[in-house]
Amino acid sequence: MIAFEHVGKRYGGRFEALANLDFRVRRGEMVFLTGHSGAGKSSLLRLLMRLERPSRGRILVAGHDIDRLHHSQVPFYRRQIGVVFQDHQLLFDRSIYHNVALPLEIQGAEPREAARRVRAALDKVGLLHREKALPIELSGGEQQRVGIARAVVNKPSLLLADEPTGNLDPQLSADIMRLFEDFHRIGTTVMIASHDLALIARLRHRTLRLSEGRLVADEEAS
Amino acid sequence: MSRDTSTRRGARAQRPSSGGRWRGWLRHHRAMALDSARRLLRHSLSSLLTMLAIAIALVLPAGLWLTLDGARLLDAELDESATLTVYLQERVGDAEAGRIVEALAAHDGVADTRLITADEGMAEFQQALGLEDALARLPGNPLPASVVIRPDDPSPAAVKRLAGGLEDMAGVEEVRLDLAWLERLGQLAELGRRVGLGLAVLFGLGVLLVVGNTVRLAVENRRQEIEVVTLIGATHAFVRRPFLYSGAWYGLGGGALACLLLTLGGNWLATPIAALAASYGAGFTLPGLGFAGSAILLGCSTLLGWLGAWIAVSRHLAQIRPR
Repeated sequence: MIAFEHVGKRYGGRFEALANLDFRVRRGEMVFLTGHSGAGKSSLLRLLMRLERPSRGRILVAGHDIDRLHHSQVPFYRRQIGVVFQDHQLLFDRSIYHNVALPLEIQGAEPREAARRVRAALDKVGLLHREKALPIELSGGEQQRVGIARAVVNKPSLLLADEPTGNLDPQLSADIMRLFEDFHRIGTTVMIASHDLALIARLRHRTLRLSEGRLVADEEAS
Repeated sequence: MSRDTSTRRGARAQRPSSGGRWRGWLRHHRAMALDSARRLLRHSLSSLLTMLAIAIALVLPAGLWLTLDGARLLDAELDESATLTVYLQERVGDAEAGRIVEALAAHDGVADTRLITADEGMAEFQQALGLEDALARLPGNPLPASVVIRPDDPSPAAVKRLAGGLEDMAGVEEVRLDLAWLERLGQLAELGRRVGLGLAVLFGLGVLLVVGNTVRLAVENRRQEIEVVTLIGATHAFVRRPFLYSGAWYGLGGGALACLLLTLGGNWLATPIAALAASYGAGFTLPGLGFAGSAILLGCSTLLGWLGAWIAVSRHLAQIRPR
């Protein structure tokens, strides 16, 4: 599903954020990405979302070199990946329902079909009863679940998450991770950047460890 | 296609059919048109001020254009009175003058002739100048008979050509044409047109700037929203759309206000203009915008608003990059 081939990323010509990354992620796999802050986790995800382009090497997603995408094709590429952000990136001027419906609105989905899928996604994260609420009325954990619902509402084949449990207590973090495992179980490729090592160790999935922009360990699920 | 594949497509549902995409596109247009109108109404005072600024920028060139339109009507009326005066030789008697008038009337390009005999000319001269006493002291009538000719084609070039042709005729002493002031008026009208066009371009630019600045602020206010929708796969067209609609609404509102201002101003000025024109013996009235004029003004202002928004959003879209 994902292939990094000798990928390097420099900022401003000097600072090397990522160096010679070379790994593959199979379709339907669930992978954790760990490392200290500044190790390059976010840079790696930004490359995958094509917010940035690699300085060296190439990245293949579903067999396509994403660096070769014309900038007019990039939005359509992004629609195929669901992204969960550490700070949720919810829009505070609209209801939970409309936040989750946003990707479908962008794709021009038919409203009745959209409503069905939004409710299905909200049901999956256990927030169907809050669909009319505004994000500000929700707790941090609930906001993160709304972010997840928005990421999965158009059934992406690849789900990326950047520190999805960053600000949550252990119980809530475990709940969130269980959600990701559910999506993994139905065949979605999932990649989660996290520094919550204790939680990752409990979950037993493949783990890529980054340090100073290099891949220092690739541990298969035990 | 088997039933099996269609259910699989339904399960993935990544790409809607082209008809569905077209309907979705229309739906988004409708939604954004309404949404941007609602946003404008929510801040009705500041929206109104923006529209008023646009209206003021539009009123000046539009008003000048209307004035020029009125002047053109006046111009046409003046062309009607473009005449040549043919002075006959002094020795020509009344009988011969009659024959010359007939010859003149038969000449190409002559629409109408009117003979002014030497005596009539003298009487007119005395009346016009009030110099009865001084002229009465003259030994004889020094004025020749003359013929006033109205040409078929009142344009200065044609009149000049006609005068050249008439000058060679027997019994004609001189052909006078007073084109200088007509030409001057034509040049003034041309000057007015150019000033009007220049002002229209300048103030059109003003409208672009007003809308551009307003939309720029709206883009800043919705920066986070733009970043988020870009992250989840919105195209530039999708991001631009609500702002383009608000620009168009601003333009339309400004255009409507401009129409209102022009109508009010026209009514306010109508009485003194009519009085002034009457004192010159002309029937000049300031023409109103009318249906076509209003439609053109509204169309132009809407287009300008849209364009201003497009420039502002495109400039800022390039700068906004998701974190």
